[in-house]
Amino acid sequence: MMTGMERLVAAIDGTPADRIPVFCNLLDQGAKELGLPLEEYYSSGEHVAEAQLKMRAKYGYDCLWSLFYVGKEAELLGCRKIIFAKDGPPNVGEMVIKKYDDIARLQVPDDITSHPAFAEELKCLRILKAEAGGKYPICAYLTASMTMPAILMGMEKWLQMLMMGPNDLRDELLTKCSDFFQKQVAAYRAAGADVLVYSNPFGSTDVIPRTFFNELSLPWMVRDLTPGGTSGIVYYCGSARFNNVIRSVIEHLGIGVFYLSPMDDIAEGKQLVAGRGLTCGVINDIMLLEWSKEEIRAEVKRMIAAGKQGGKFLFGTLVMPYNIPEENIRTMLEAAYEYGSFECP
Amino acid sequence: MLKQVMSQYNEAIMDTDRDRALQIVHVAVDLGISPEEIVFNVVVPAIELMMQSISENQGISLAQHFMAAQIASEVVDEMVPLFAKAPEIVGTVVIGTSQGDFHGLGKRIVSGCLKAMMVEVIDLGLNVAPERFIDEALARNAQVIAISSMMVHTATGENGCRRVRKLLKERDLEDRIRIAVGGAPYRFDPDLFKSVGADGWAENGVTAGRVITDLIREVRR
Repeated sequence: MMTGMERLVAAIDGTPADRIPVFCNLLDQGAKELGLPLEEYYSSGEHVAEAQLKMRAKYGYDCLWSLFYVGKEAELLGCRKIIFAKDGPPNVGEMVIKKYDDIARLQVPDDITSHPAFAEELKCLRILKAEAGGKYPICAYLTASMTMPAILMGMEKWLQMLMMGPNDLRDELLTKCSDFFQKQVAAYRAAGADVLVYSNPFGSTDVIPRTFFNELSLPWMVRDLTPGGTSGIVYYCGSARFNNVIRSVIEHLGIGVFYLSPMDDIAEGKQLVAGRGLTCGVINDIMLLEWSKEEIRAEVKRMIAAGKQGGKFLFGTLVMPYNIPEENIRTMLEAAYEYGSFECP
Repeated sequence: MLKQVMSQYNEAIMDTDRDRALQIVHVAVDLGISPEEIVFNVVVPAIELMMQSISENQGISLAQHFMAAQIASEVVDEMVPLFAKAPEIVGTVVIGTSQGDFHGLGKRIVSGCLKAMMVEVIDLGLNVAPERFIDEALARNAQVIAISSMMVHTATGENGCRRVRKLLKERDLEDRIRIAVGGAPYRFDPDLFKSVGADGWAENGVTAGRVITDLIREVRR
């Protein structure tokens, strides 16, 4: 039997494997697994690592996550208040940038790995590496410079600044966010993360018009990625569609892994990638809260039929909602293993 | 001339060019087009055109929704005080994000569009308790409570729309007040609005204007 890492490498290289790789992004569910409230769970890298390893072993999928929650990045840049929910991801409770003057005061840490807000994640990464390194890909989540301001000042204020200026402050903020990204990606690589999910809803024309994508998003993505290169980088736009920019992303950024939106047409995405990389078909996992077993199997079958032919395909989820019944997670995964098998026509 | 203004304004909106849109409006007023014509024959049709483009899947981005609403709101703020007589208000909506939800963008887009459609908008802000939605709706005589949720657990949780519905029922207010919802989870599950007890939902902030005005008319019928 192949390991998750072997399946992923085979899918990227287009070499034979027992089945397609399956990435199931369970984060908050780790707290349930350990019987802990979310706030307590996320206070410790040991907890997160233990739950990630347990859940992967229990369900058999192919990835591990070092991500706690997205607001962690805001903590690295000065946010001191995270609001925890009982049954969903934590929210940033205090904007780091409340007024434009705060942009000048925003400080990018020199050494992210020694920052207290990174300590638990680093602990988690080390445990995952020691326990499963080389066998199962360890994923890290990084927010692109163009999207980071939404976490620091709120989407509403960021969109206002992006569309209406002042452009000098916008560029000052983007420069700091891009510097932060470059340091963060280097820190994750040094700590042993294999898969670097580059999250950028502003890399989708669902969010910004094409002219903005060409004139702003692309150059800032080039800046983010140039020093460290694109090894391990996964292009991901949150849940926003991006089939229509795949050609530009390949041409200008050289990224080779595309984690589509559930709303993207998988067959079209794969055709656009055209063998130059790995296409990841992503299920609309909110529906797993409602769908019957038959509906789940039918959807997984449809998705895999659209992408599996010719290999270079991965089945994945978004960040799975906390309340998806365990039975539905199993149904989805069993269907993915079955229909994703290369013995299965 | 009005046709030309409409066409230029629409183009500026699609280009997300606020300064050009405002300049077109100012020049038009200087040339004798009335403030009422600007709002009802230029701004509102531009929003309706955007709704049509969205429904025809013409690739309108979130930033374009945002700018259309923002510009509409600014033009209406400037034009309404210049109207020959006060405009007739279609109705009133109280709007906010559900408890535990701190994402305000959708609410802002909806509010800008509603303002142009002559709906009075009472913005309750972020992280609004269900009881407050009801209390404010009653105090302002609102026909609609609009609840925005960007996260699955705030859309489906017991302190969001579900609780607002329960309170409306307990207080026998269901004939007087309708509930509209919006936000990412509803886009990914188009039937979710029914299971959380809403009367309507909108896929985006721009079309929310139409959904909410329809609900207001339902109550006022």
